Amino acid sequence: MTPSLSQVLKHRQDELLEHWLRDLSQTSSDGSFSSAHPELIEPLRELFYVLMTQLDQAASREISLATDQPSRLEREQQTALEPPLKQLVAEQARLQRSLSDTLGFLLYLKHLLFKALFAAADQAVEERSILWLDHCFEQIARQTFDLALAQRDRYISEQSISIMELSTPVLRLWHQILLLPLVGVIDTGRARQITDHLLEAIAKYEARVTVIDLTGVPIIDTSVAQHIMKTIDAARLLGSRVVLTGISPEGAQTLTKLGIRFGDVISRASLRAGIAEALLITGKRIAAMEASPR
Amino acid sequence: MKIPILRLGRILLASIQEDLTDTEAMQFQSDLVNEVAEIEALGVAVDITALDVVDSYMARVINDTASMVRLLGAEVVICGVQPFVAMTLIEMGRDLIGADCTFNLDQGLEQLKTRIASRGDIRFAGDEDE
Repeated sequence: MTPSLSQVLKHRQDELLEHWLRDLSQTSSDGSFSSAHPELIEPLRELFYVLMTQLDQAASREISLATDQPSRLEREQQTALEPPLKQLVAEQARLQRSLSDTLGFLLYLKHLLFKALFAAADQAVEERSILWLDHCFEQIARQTFDLALAQRDRYISEQSISIMELSTPVLRLWHQILLLPLVGVIDTGRARQITDHLLEAIAKYEARVTVIDLTGVPIIDTSVAQHIMKTIDAARLLGSRVVLTGISPEGAQTLTKLGIRFGDVISRASLRAGIAEALLITGKRIAAMEASPR
Repeated sequence: MKIPILRLGRILLASIQEDLTDTEAMQFQSDLVNEVAEIEALGVAVDITALDVVDSYMARVINDTASMVRLLGAEVVICGVQPFVAMTLIEMGRDLIGADCTFNLDQGLEQLKTRIASRGDIRFAGDEDE
């Protein structure tokens, strides 16, 4: 009699698990994965049990790829496998291991299962069992891949948000003087955020002067210039004067050739000169101390 | 012909002596702009006393240069616009030259100095590193 998939696998479950984990602890001989980190053992073990439960359930239902509803089964299987897979993928990412290692672990399990299946079968193993097991691992591999990609996308978007926030601070330079150092490429999204931040800060600190430093902006083109103009206009409406600083000679030439006029906005070569201008507007000055403390 | 750009302290002086070709005009523009940025000039005087004819292109170059220089944080005056030049420029369009103009170089430098004196960056006693 041909032993069913479920019987074989259930019978040798513990043995298979130990074998799998033992082999994963060292780099595979064919190079399909490098050794699993000890911290991965628990997630892998959990994944194994969930997978076994799924295999068992599916086998007991006498699944047939042709007649049953594979899509519904697949969905159930995916839902069940998602938490352990997610954990595995997250751990691997945290340990800075590659996705191919993760896939290597899973495919190696498939290899072991097949070997066990063939070893146990005196005669030919049920064809549909083989097909089904293969199909099942295909699904898992695809799911792992999707999960890993989704996670990476999430990381990237989180990081770009934090970069955005880091790169647009509004600094309170002195009483009624704000400094907005712009660093990096300014796109529409960032420009809006910059304007929002600045206006909030102007209102909060009742700033009379805002120094906008463009030293860190590599390219000033029409759209960047327009965004800056809008920011300046908005600041003016709140009653804050704007001093631009740090425009490069190339930047100045581009702006003028593009026909962009900053009108009566004060522009200064260096941040230092800009701050001096801002202090003048607020009626302050920096002076030497009469008696030096040292 | 390369236009010499003279340095008087932190003021730059450029005198255009003859009609410039388009290439020379652009060369002059970028030379001046780079020089302004390099020494962080406070003022620039462009003298066009010797020019009897200023076409619209030249007027635009002068105007653009003035805008660029202002963006780089320096004051600008255009000196010595001849009466005939002034008339043709007005005929061609009112705002052809937006920068401040003075009759001669002497007045130009004086105006520059007054404007520079009212700026924040040189009114500090704390500017010890100059």
